[in-house]
Amino acid sequence: MAEAESLKDPGLPGEIPFDTVIYGSPPLAYPVALNQFVIYNTPDPAYVAGRINVSAFANLGFAPWPFANTNAPLNGHICIPRGRGPFPLAVFAHGNHNPLENSTPGYLYLCQLLASHGIIAATIDVNFLNGGFGENDARAIVHLEHLKQFRTWNNTATHPLHGKVDLNRILIVGHSRGGEAVGHASYFNRLASIGAVNLDGLAPFFLGPYRFGLSAVAAIAPTDRQFIPVSGPTVVPDPYYIIHGSKDGDVFDFQGYHTYERAHAVDLANPSVSSGKFKAMLWVHKANHNQFNSTWPPETGPGVAMTRASQEQVAKVHLGALAQAVLLDRAAYFDVLRDHGTAVTWDPPSTDFVSQYLDPERILVQHNQEGVVAPVVSLPVQGTVAADAVVATRALTLLTGGPTNTITLRLVWNALGSRLLLTIDPETLPAERYKVLALRVGQSTDPNNPVNRDQDFTLQVSSGSRTASVAASALHRLLYPDVPVAGPAKIMMQTLRLPVAQLVEDGVEPRDIRSIAFFFDRRATGTLYVGDLQFSN
Amino acid sequence: MQPPKPPQIAAVDVVPAQPAQADSMALTHLSARTDASPPPVAYVVKVKLKSRLPATSLGWALYVSDVRIPKYWEYEDGIYFTVIDPNFFAEHKGERLRFSHDGAEFHDTGVKLPGAPASATPVAAISEALTSNVQTSATSRRRTTAKKAKAKKAKAKSAKAKSKRKRA
Repeated sequence: MAEAESLKDPGLPGEIPFDTVIYGSPPLAYPVALNQFVIYNTPDPAYVAGRINVSAFANLGFAPWPFANTNAPLNGHICIPRGRGPFPLAVFAHGNHNPLENSTPGYLYLCQLLASHGIIAATIDVNFLNGGFGENDARAIVHLEHLKQFRTWNNTATHPLHGKVDLNRILIVGHSRGGEAVGHASYFNRLASIGAVNLDGLAPFFLGPYRFGLSAVAAIAPTDRQFIPVSGPTVVPDPYYIIHGSKDGDVFDFQGYHTYERAHAVDLANPSVSSGKFKAMLWVHKANHNQFNSTWPPETGPGVAMTRASQEQVAKVHLGALAQAVLLDRAAYFDVLRDHGTAVTWDPPSTDFVSQYLDPERILVQHNQEGVVAPVVSLPVQGTVAADAVVATRALTLLTGGPTNTITLRLVWNALGSRLLLTIDPETLPAERYKVLALRVGQSTDPNNPVNRDQDFTLQVSSGSRTASVAASALHRLLYPDVPVAGPAKIMMQTLRLPVAQLVEDGVEPRDIRSIAFFFDRRATGTLYVGDLQFSN
Repeated sequence: MQPPKPPQIAAVDVVPAQPAQADSMALTHLSARTDASPPPVAYVVKVKLKSRLPATSLGWALYVSDVRIPKYWEYEDGIYFTVIDPNFFAEHKGERLRFSHDGAEFHDTGVKLPGAPASATPVAAISEALTSNVQTSATSRRRTTAKKAKAKKAKAKSAKAKSKRKRA
């Protein structure tokens, strides 16, 4: 596993001083029942925002809001680095919670961190949409309208933020239903209209236009498909990052994994063509749902989840690394996304993670999406697959919860020495153009996997007479699934990245790779699930 | 800990209502109609719940048989959704309301969608339909009445059998 050598802990505060201000849309007079919101009655005079009409998308929740859905306020908190800028922008949104409680300040701990590193960071009020179901398109619109407000301020000569916001470096982050909504926002951001609603800034709704430069979209413990566009479930078009806890007692079925699978998936018509965007996932053992928001009480009982301080530290380290990588051009922090082991000294001690990373530069050797048929080598790479004492089947396996359209390869063996062999025509695999052999593999609670024991096997890569044999456990642990708070245990696949340079050291010629094998010589029995196998960067 | 339990429905009422301007825009959007003319009447389907929805992100999609209601909102006694096309009731009257949190596992509420009220004359604005004590739909009442009558009959039958056994 990689070590954090020259990188600094992205979860620690930076050295840039910053100011925190409240913005809002006066005149507002929140009633006594909504006393947590009165802070928005008197925003900073320089940070007066407009109102928005979300009536095409949502009714308001049941709380006694002092406004209608035709003139909802743009309220929020911003941490603004001192200096000339322009600074990148990160905007956080909460999810569904008791509307009488203000969920907005719950991400200030992350805003403060990012601001101290030179990022304007805001957390926005979407409380008026709490309650009901299917409103996540409206949450997306609210998020985009907040970005529009920042654009307006950036373009207003007399405003303190004039010229300070880098509108080509924006990170949107959402938690829970807000996490689903940032996926929709990424999709809506490119549209001229949504149904009958034009996103042109004109009457009757005055929404849009957007078309922001979204550097990445990050979802914290998101829901999925509560809102479904007419065109089908949302496919996030921007770089996508997702973080979720194994002890989530709310979105216990890790719905966002479906969002993750849909994003930048293989195009079966052009399997060698990539979307050009990365995606990354972090599965955090013992993290729950609510503790990512510093104001929400934990939904899990005492001792079930990690401490709030630990969970916030995980969020700071990993979202901090994402922000450093995509907003501040510190590309070295992509290492944290590629391999969570890079952050081992920054994360809370003894925290277990499972992570995935898909690089935009890749050639798939086996993506498994050709159909629920016997496994094959995926075109344009040519080859054959042979199973020796391994039962290799493809299925629409429910790795998390809910129905899936993604096929996974299941490998079952019951004797040492079993093997799945991919024989490859080296003329069709330009492995020398890539830096790593990457595959996603994970274990389950199937009875032939010993309980609470890491699974393991040997990856064998051959060119001619030279073979490199590498234990999967030398690349990463294949953790036994954590016991969930509700529902079945999840099958979380870990991305294993074997450097091509290591293959070369072992005498393997990347231009002449003739076979790749899963050799089951380390555990007598087991069941593993394989997502894909590729050469990548 | 068990997976969360779906909401339980106490009753369903359908109220013809007059859309306000904001409602009209939303309904126009939701129905994918291209003309901007407000529909003359919208049917508010009030689904009275036995307890308030939990304030969680995990949500329960509401289905009428296999048709998913894309959006619903909360009001004091439960949730509601709006229908523009009265044919919706012709097509789905008597079909069961179901909840699902993942589109795979469905929970039958045992409650059926009533038909549209005989009169399509709006009785109130949508907002008033939610707050005022408007007439409950005939179907919902009939169901309750029939249920009560059935229970009464069963009770009488059981008492009769009991006294017969006593006599024996």
